[in-house]
Amino acid sequence: MVYESQKVAIKYFVISAILFGLQVIVGLLLVSKYIWADPLIGFLPFNTARAIHTNLLVVWMIFGFMGGTYYLVPEESGKELFSKGLANLQFWLLLLGGLVGVIGFLFRWTAGRPLLELPVELKWAIVLVALIFIFNVFMTMIRTKKWTAIQGLLLGGIVMLAVMWLFGIPFFKNLTLDYYYWWWVIHLWVEGAWELIAASLMAFILLKITGIDRQVIEKWLYVEVALVLITGIIGTGHHYYWIGTPRYWLWWGGIFSALEPLPILLMVFDTLNHVRHRKIEILDRLVLHWAVGCAIFHFIGAGVWGFIHTLPVVNRWTHGTQVTASHGHMAFFGAYAMTIITVVYYALPKLKGLKQYNKKRGFLVFWITTISMVVVGLGFGVAGVLQSYMQRGLGIDFLTVQGFMRPWFMAVLFGGFGLFIGVILYIITVFQLFLKKFE
Amino acid sequence: MGKKFARNFFILGTAICTVVFIWLTIDTHTTIPKRTHTDQLSEEVILGKRVWHKYNCNDCHTILGIGGYYSPDVTKVYFMRGEAWLKAFLKDPESPDPKRRKMVNFHLSEDETTRLITFFKWVDGIDTNQWPPKPIGEGKIAEVESKSEPQVALGKGVFEKYRCDICHKIEGKGGMIGPELTREGSKRDALWLEQHIRDPKSHDPTTVMPPFPQITKGELNALVDYLINLK
Repeated sequence: MVYESQKVAIKYFVISAILFGLQVIVGLLLVSKYIWADPLIGFLPFNTARAIHTNLLVVWMIFGFMGGTYYLVPEESGKELFSKGLANLQFWLLLLGGLVGVIGFLFRWTAGRPLLELPVELKWAIVLVALIFIFNVFMTMIRTKKWTAIQGLLLGGIVMLAVMWLFGIPFFKNLTLDYYYWWWVIHLWVEGAWELIAASLMAFILLKITGIDRQVIEKWLYVEVALVLITGIIGTGHHYYWIGTPRYWLWWGGIFSALEPLPILLMVFDTLNHVRHRKIEILDRLVLHWAVGCAIFHFIGAGVWGFIHTLPVVNRWTHGTQVTASHGHMAFFGAYAMTIITVVYYALPKLKGLKQYNKKRGFLVFWITTISMVVVGLGFGVAGVLQSYMQRGLGIDFLTVQGFMRPWFMAVLFGGFGLFIGVILYIITVFQLFLKKFE
Repeated sequence: MGKKFARNFFILGTAICTVVFIWLTIDTHTTIPKRTHTDQLSEEVILGKRVWHKYNCNDCHTILGIGGYYSPDVTKVYFMRGEAWLKAFLKDPESPDPKRRKMVNFHLSEDETTRLITFFKWVDGIDTNQWPPKPIGEGKIAEVESKSEPQVALGKGVFEKYRCDICHKIEGKGGMIGPELTREGSKRDALWLEQHIRDPKSHDPTTVMPPFPQITKGELNALVDYLINLK
């Protein structure tokens, strides 16, 4: 840490970790509802719990990205943050908005659209938070002496994130158009804006820990995000096969989304290459572990798992089944959860001025969470293949097929418990670092 | 390849793809009126969509294959179940087998129920490029025509496929909306049953049982054989 104002990132990291824990707890509840009769149906039915689960995911990741951005920007631009006050204000507003949202769900205050359940008033409040955030970041960056690709692409990512969010706000009369623009938020976030943010954060960390020439790192960063957006933007079409949109999307979506794993594969090679050609000894083995693991899991969860069911011939049978749940869990974990955890393990000790601390637990968290997530992904995956075959292929009734899928939901529950333990250990580490006195 | 080249590749590639995507979006918009027959997108349908959002149905059920995977897809529910069945079910969704997954009873008002069903009716007509696909296995049931033991087993399968058990009870299992069928074979003959399943109103104009025009001849034979054997 070089700049005093980077410290605003600390509370973002702490809240992000706590909300991650809550998300996993609600996830355990959700999968239990698949396995056993639901005693909580009157108080917390599946739909409410799912809204909480997915919104907690988005909120903890946004907190993570914002924390990461506030850590990165002063160091990249060579200036203190434009305003620490705004960064703090924005933190409390977002936290308040998130809490009101979750409590609102319990009282059925909702827009009723999956993943975009927040009521319209809160959606506009989030726009306000985003504007403060972008303003603060932008005002810091324009005072820089040298625009770097890392900060430019990071800014591009957060602006794109905010702009796409706007498409999730209106009420659509036509369900097909509703879902057409719903994907402009969901898909163009996770396969666009978020990728830009994650790639910039990761490039920054690789730059710092490997000592590789900035020119080399930034060149490959450009190529990566170029490929992400070239495949990802038109790749949105893989969501337009069956929602009432024209048949030509089967070709546009199929071809472009089939290429989506390429940039992620490139990220894996880049990461390994940068590590191999490092100019300085990588002292922080833990961060290295997470960074490399993140690249690989990102490729498997988002790239491979996505590719498997992206072609129309396959998707016709798997669309709307647990195959999607499997992909969703693996991809979010590999691409974003692991990126944020990498950032936190890198930045938090630095923000506390720690040269050394016991990293054993960090490795333990790595292995427990990744293995658990593989179990979760495979559990959902097998359940989804069964469902595609029996329900879509053989035409057997929905609930009858759910009975056959039960053992695999048990596997998901088992993996979920593992993940829960891993995340608790992670939260403990974050708190220990948080409570340390600055050295 | 230098950094400058990479940057230009990024800018140009992104710009071209964005333009293509917007062009495709505009073209898609021109096809929407026909593909989703917007002429039938009445005020009633829109109010129905609001009911769909109000109770956050979409976080359990999928529609057009999107949403929660906890409950059945409702894209074709209007065609599969019909209006009468939907009305009866929405009024009391918790009634079937207690061991099965339950739906919350939202106590919808009469208006809300009607609007929601109108919305489902409109959704049913969206051109989804033949999704959900027709099951491959369905043909097998239709092919078997001979009267034999497997025929009865097949009929049981048909009974389950169309979820007759949601309304009808057999040997203690099933719903309460329709009459119990445990001894149906000693009450009705094959012809009566066949007519009744195809068009329930032919026997009782006030019945809430939906017609099943989508049932194939083979399936109907099997189902009737199964019911006849319940004595």
